[in-house]
Amino acid sequence: MTFWNILLILVKGAGYTVLVTLASIGAGLAVGLLLAVLSLVRWKTVRLLLAAYTYVFRSIPVLVLLFIVFFGLPGMGIRIPPFFSMVLCLGLVSGAYLAEIFRGAMAAVSRDEITAAEAMGMKRVQIFLYVIWPQMFRMAVPGMTNEFTSILKYTPFAYTVGIPEIMKEAMSLAALTLRGLEIYLAVGILYYLIYKVFVVSFETLEKRFRIPGLAGE
Amino acid sequence: MDAFLQDLIHYSPQILAGLKNTLLLMAVMSIAGLAGGIGVFYLTLGKNRLLRWGTERYISFFIGTPLLVHLFLMYYGLPQLGIRLSAFAVAVIGFTLNVSAYNARYLMTAYNGLDKTQIEAARAQGFRFGQTFRLIILPQTLRLSVPSLTNQVIQNLKDTSVAFLIQYPDFFAQMQEIASTNFQFLKTYVAAGLVYLALVSVIVAAARRLERKTALPGLETLDHA
Amino acid sequence: MALIEVQDLVKRFDGKEVLKGVNVLLSEGQSKVVMGASGCGKSTLLKCLNLLVAPTSGRIIFKGEDITRPGVDIHRLRQDIGFVFQHFALYTHLTVEENITLGLRKIRKMKTAAAREKAAFELERVGMFEHRKKYPAHLSGGQKQRAAIVRALAMDPAVLFLDEPTSALDPQMSREVVTVINKLYLDNITMFCVTHDPFLAKYISDSIVFMHEGVIVAEDIAERLFYEHDDPRIRQFYLSVIDHR
Repeated sequence: MTFWNILLILVKGAGYTVLVTLASIGAGLAVGLLLAVLSLVRWKTVRLLLAAYTYVFRSIPVLVLLFIVFFGLPGMGIRIPPFFSMVLCLGLVSGAYLAEIFRGAMAAVSRDEITAAEAMGMKRVQIFLYVIWPQMFRMAVPGMTNEFTSILKYTPFAYTVGIPEIMKEAMSLAALTLRGLEIYLAVGILYYLIYKVFVVSFETLEKRFRIPGLAGE
Repeated sequence: MDAFLQDLIHYSPQILAGLKNTLLLMAVMSIAGLAGGIGVFYLTLGKNRLLRWGTERYISFFIGTPLLVHLFLMYYGLPQLGIRLSAFAVAVIGFTLNVSAYNARYLMTAYNGLDKTQIEAARAQGFRFGQTFRLIILPQTLRLSVPSLTNQVIQNLKDTSVAFLIQYPDFFAQMQEIASTNFQFLKTYVAAGLVYLALVSVIVAAARRLERKTALPGLETLDHA
Repeated sequence: MALIEVQDLVKRFDGKEVLKGVNVLLSEGQSKVVMGASGCGKSTLLKCLNLLVAPTSGRIIFKGEDITRPGVDIHRLRQDIGFVFQHFALYTHLTVEENITLGLRKIRKMKTAAAREKAAFELERVGMFEHRKKYPAHLSGGQKQRAAIVRALAMDPAVLFLDEPTSALDPQMSREVVTVINKLYLDNITMFCVTHDPFLAKYISDSIVFMHEGVIVAEDIAERLFYEHDDPRIRQFYLSVIDHR
């Protein structure tokens, strides 16, 4: 079995890896945006809950969270399939980080421009849609890219709940052939390639929508 | 008393041993990772093109691939070459390589924001490059990176939980074992989560103190987290 | 007919009285400038008039309607008042043209093509048509302020408010902007402007209101206010600002 053969076998798992990553990015974005918007509410209870959320999900390791969700929750009668458990965990955790990124980017939108929009007679929703969000997303690009690649790097944990992604394929193959060195090297290369594709696509996307005077740092 | 609590008390020696292993691993990789990060950062500033290119590749690869892959590569791959390392050794080496790459990246970002005329001034004053690095560049980049570097320590603590996947008997490995004997998965894993929460709180408090103590006028810290 | 009538307007910030009972009248087609040293309350007055700042007491009658009453449609009111800011406040993520059409499309509900046509017409008036595809980051200060004026004007407001429109500009660019506002003045656009720039005030006003520590001290045409009034507060102010030119 050549190195090339190994790579070909592992590529089969790459589909799942990418799928888990994309689904988790979607979940993370949804959670992050929701939390970022909620953070604008001045109600004290909401603020406290948000702080608690961020604290908890930034402190508990992803692997521990995954075990709580996948192995723990069935004890309460809640059974979540492996794929959704993984996506849920990564969505909850990355949502906490993304919320901070969005909050920072929203705060960076010029106060003057918001006043200008108010003076123009825009309603709050309009100000969000047309002035704050378009700028927020652009300024959040570097942070978002970072967070999305972190999600990718957490996906190997999915093998522990039996999702047939790259790592799972690699382990079965390694158990069969005892050629861990080549196999895990191939895994590394594969992940690196996926990582590069992600980073380059975000960069392309960012360039496509780039506006002078509005860089994410 | 609650049966679950009794379990925890019954297994407490094992849990404490695991906790000790977790903290040991975290401490070793944080210290080695900081030293490694500074070393790698130094190399990225060097004159040798090939060396600089190599360092960039190293950082990019370790930031671009999952930690678990590095650990598995060494733990399951190296024996093929006749090199058998203990789980602890693999964890320390793998984590350190990984953390060094991240720390180097933070320091590089901080360096990019520095006022470079200071470096010219130091060279003009007759300092050699090593001295400039040690006396001018490093003190400033380190201070600027305090939030990122301390965030990395928190990340390190959380990442130790991965080591149980290569059979390192860390805290989470023990909790996992307890769960598989008492079948109280939810309670046991939530308890584990709470312990991580408490440990992170301690690090956060220490980080805040460090940040206050190292603050310098005119050097605003950067947060890359 | 009075477009805006301000009666006994008071504004308090944390117990400090910034406006101490202000009375002003602005007629349709009139251009009025409020002057005074920084901190005299002139900017607060302007922001009270479109309720960006809520007045503490007093009445503001706009088009015959008391807008300080509760239940006033604040958005409708603001849509009727164009506002030009000291620091331009152009939307960073939009081109000059988009800055102008955003309000037309989303608030005035105009079709994109019609909004563009309107923007082109207004930009032409201030000599900014060729810059319409540029982003704010690529404009000079004078160009930014001209674009901001067009953005406010394109909405066909009943009145144009200008808050220190030349204060963030160097003399050269400032002149550029004064020329544009002067053109609007000659077109009989109703304006209410706050500034401490006597050059601007002179060229764009029918009359000037002088404010000091939250009260109106005098109101007169530029020549008389600057050269003939012997109120020491006005003389001192005039001497302090005239030095800069």
